Amino acid sequence: MKYLPLIWSGLWRKPARTILIFLQVSVAFALFGVLQGLKTGVSHAVAAARADLLLVHSRLSFLMQPLPYGLLEQIRTVPGVKVAIPVELTFATYQQPNQGIGVVAVTPEEGWTAAFTYTIAPADVAAFARSRTAMLVRDVVMEKYGWKIGDHIPLKLPIQRQDGSSDWAFDVVGTFTDSDIGGGRRNVLVSYPNFDEARLLQKGTVNHFNVAVTDPKLAAQVANAIDARFANSSHETKTESLRELAQSSMQAIGDFDFLIRAVVGAVLVALLFATTTMMVQSIHERTPELAVVKTVGFTDRAVFLLILAEALAVFLAGAVCGLLLASVALPVAARFVLGLSMPGIVVVLGLALGTLVALVSAAIPAALAARLKVVTALGGHRAA
Amino acid sequence: MSFSRQFLSLLRLSLSGMGARLGAVLTIIVGVTCAVGVLVAMLAMGSGARREVLAGARDDRIVVVSHGASGIQSNIPRDAAETVRDLPGIKKGSDGKPLVVFQSVVLIEAHRRVTGTRIFFPLVGVTAAPFTEALPELRLTQGRTFRPGLYELIASDPCVRQYTGFGIGDKRAIGGADWTIVGHFVQGDTQQCAVLADAEILMSTFHSNTYTRATATLRSPADYAILQRALDANPALHLEVRHERDDREEGIRQLNALLDFAAYFVGSIMAIGATLGAVNSLYSIVDSRRREIATLRAIGFGSGAVATAILCESILLALPGALLGVLLARALFHRMAVSPFGFSFLLDVTPALAVIGVVWALAMGLIGGLLPALRAARVPVTTALRAT
Repeated sequence: MKYLPLIWSGLWRKPARTILIFLQVSVAFALFGVLQGLKTGVSHAVAAARADLLLVHSRLSFLMQPLPYGLLEQIRTVPGVKVAIPVELTFATYQQPNQGIGVVAVTPEEGWTAAFTYTIAPADVAAFARSRTAMLVRDVVMEKYGWKIGDHIPLKLPIQRQDGSSDWAFDVVGTFTDSDIGGGRRNVLVSYPNFDEARLLQKGTVNHFNVAVTDPKLAAQVANAIDARFANSSHETKTESLRELAQSSMQAIGDFDFLIRAVVGAVLVALLFATTTMMVQSIHERTPELAVVKTVGFTDRAVFLLILAEALAVFLAGAVCGLLLASVALPVAARFVLGLSMPGIVVVLGLALGTLVALVSAAIPAALAARLKVVTALGGHRAA
Repeated sequence: MSFSRQFLSLLRLSLSGMGARLGAVLTIIVGVTCAVGVLVAMLAMGSGARREVLAGARDDRIVVVSHGASGIQSNIPRDAAETVRDLPGIKKGSDGKPLVVFQSVVLIEAHRRVTGTRIFFPLVGVTAAPFTEALPELRLTQGRTFRPGLYELIASDPCVRQYTGFGIGDKRAIGGADWTIVGHFVQGDTQQCAVLADAEILMSTFHSNTYTRATATLRSPADYAILQRALDANPALHLEVRHERDDREEGIRQLNALLDFAAYFVGSIMAIGATLGAVNSLYSIVDSRRREIATLRAIGFGSGAVATAILCESILLALPGALLGVLLARALFHRMAVSPFGFSFLLDVTPALAVIGVVWALAMGLIGGLLPALRAARVPVTTALRAT
C-alpha cells in the first residue's frame, strides 16, 4: 500500500496525458458495452420470451393463410389448453397513408388476456368487453397521436365493410403495454366479433389462435397435440411458442456477429497502439526519475510492477467509466432498437478485457523501465 | 519571411522529423484508420441495402396495391384484375396484351444450409401471360420455367445457395401438394431468395381468391399520371398505384434508418476515441520539439505560422489513415453477404462512402490538431531555450 502515493504521482506527472488516455479508454469501453449489450441483450430477450404461450397458425404459410374460426372449439378440447383466443391481424392507417397502425382483433371473453403478453388494467379489460366498437390502444400510439379515452377514432383499413367502404371507426376505452419484444409497437386491440360481422369478405376466418397452456412444461406436448388434431385435414396447423418464434426472428442478429467482433477488434487495436506509444513516451521522459527510484533501492521487478499498476489504474477507471456511460446510453438506444440491455456478464467481460489490454499495452514500457541501467540513466541518456 | 514561406519550411521540418517520432505518428494513423474503416464498413450496410432493393427497379414500372397497403398485406380481388389490366398508359406486349403481372404472395418456410435455421421466404405466384416481357430482368440459369397448371416452381440462385431443398428435381410439400423445382433463375443481381410458381395453381392450393399485388410496365414514365387519375376515378376498387422505385424504397426505409443510425453512432464514438489519441500524440510531438520550436521562434518565425504548421501536420497524418481505413473496409467487407431480419444483401463500399470517410478523417485531424497547435504557438521562448 505504501506504493500508492508513488503510483498516484506517476499518474499525475502529466495530467493532460493521463486524462486523455483515460478518456480514450472510456470511449472504447462505452462502445464495447453498447455493442456487447446489443448481442447479449438479444439473447436475453429470446430467453425471456414466453414459452407457455402458443401460436396456432396455418401450416401452409406463416400468418398469411386464414384459418376457419371453427377450429377454436377443437383446440379448446385439447388437454393442457387453458385459454384459446382467436386473433385476426390487419393494419390501418390513421389520417395519412404513412401513419400505420397494426390492428389486432381478439374475442374479449372471460380471461382472454391470459393468452397474450399484454398488460392491461382490469377496468380497461372490463370496458373493452362491454362495447363492441371498443378499442384498446398501445401507450406509445396513444402518446403519438394524442388520443384520449372516449375518443372516436376513424381508421382506414384495407378491409371492406358490408357497405363497401373501407372507413372504420373505434372508441378508445383504455390502454395497454406489451412485454413481448416481437410484438408490434404501434398496435391497437379491437373486438373480433364486431370486426368479423362488419366486414364484407373472408368472414369467419382468423389469422391465428393464441393458446395459453396450463403448465409451461407441457407446452411442446400441447403444441404437438393441437397439430395432430388437424393433421390431414383441409386446415393443417403449425403450433409454435412465442419463444420459438423469437428465436427464429432473432437469428438474423447472428449475421452481425462478425461485424460486431470486427468493430470491437478495431477499437481495441487502436486503443492498444495509442496507449503503448504514450506510455513508452512517458517512460522516456521519466528516465532520470526512474533511475533515482532504482538508486534508492527499488528492484527492477518493483519498477516493472509500478508501471503495470499505473496502467491498470487508468484502464480500470476508464473501463468503469465507459461501461457506466454505456449503461446510461442503452435505455435511450433501446427506444430505437428493441431488446437492448446490458446484463452483468458484459460488465465482467469489459473489466476483464480492460485488465488484459492494460497489461498488454504496459508490458513493453514496463520492461523498458525495468531494464533501465541506473548509471546511463542518471548520466542523462534516454532508455534504449 | 512571409507567413506562407515560414509555414512551408516549418511543415517541411515537421515532416522530415517524423521518422524520429514514429510511435506518435503511427498512433494517429492507426487510430484514424480504425475509425474510418469502421464507419465506412457500417455505412456500407445501408448503401448495400439500398442498392439491393433498387436493383432492377425501373422508372417505367409501377405497382398496384390495395389502398394504404404496406409490404405483402395487400389484396386485389380477382374480379378487379380485368379493370387493372385495362388501365390507360400500360404498355402492350408483342401479343397485344397489356404488360401486367399479378402476384399472389405466400410465406413459406426454408432452412439455412449451414445452421439449419428456419426462415420465411416469399413464394410468388405470377400470372403467366406476358411474363418474360413484363419482367425482362428475370433470366433462367438452369432448367426451364414452370408450366401453367402444374405444381412446378422455379427458384432464384440465392435460394439455392443459402437454403436446402432447392436443387432441380427437389420436391417440396406445400399446401398438401408436391411441388417440383424445375428451374433456377437470376433476377438482376438481387440477393433475395424468391420462388415463382403459376399464380392460378398457387391460389387454388391456398383457397385464395385475391392477388396480392400487380406490377405493370408503362408505355413511358410520363404515363404514370394518366394511370393514377384513372385509378383515382374508381374509388370503389380501393387500389393505389406507386412507382416501383418508391414502393421498394418504402419497404426498407425503416431498416435503412436503423443501419445508418448505427453506423454514425459507432463511427462517431470511434472518431472521438481516435481524436483523443491524436491530441495526445500531437501534444507529445509538440513537447518533444519545445526547444526546436523555441529556437525557430527566436530566429523570427511567427507563432501563427508555427500553429498552422502543426495543424497541417495533424491533417496530413489523418489522411493516410483515412485512405488505409477505406481500403481496409473495401478489402474486408465489400460484397460481404449479410441478411439482417431475413433481408439479404451485399455490403457495398461506394466511392461516396470513401469521400465521407476522408471528410470524417479530415475533421478528426483538424479537431485533434487544434489544442496542440495552440500549445506550440504559446511555447515561451526564453524558458524553453533554457530547459535541458
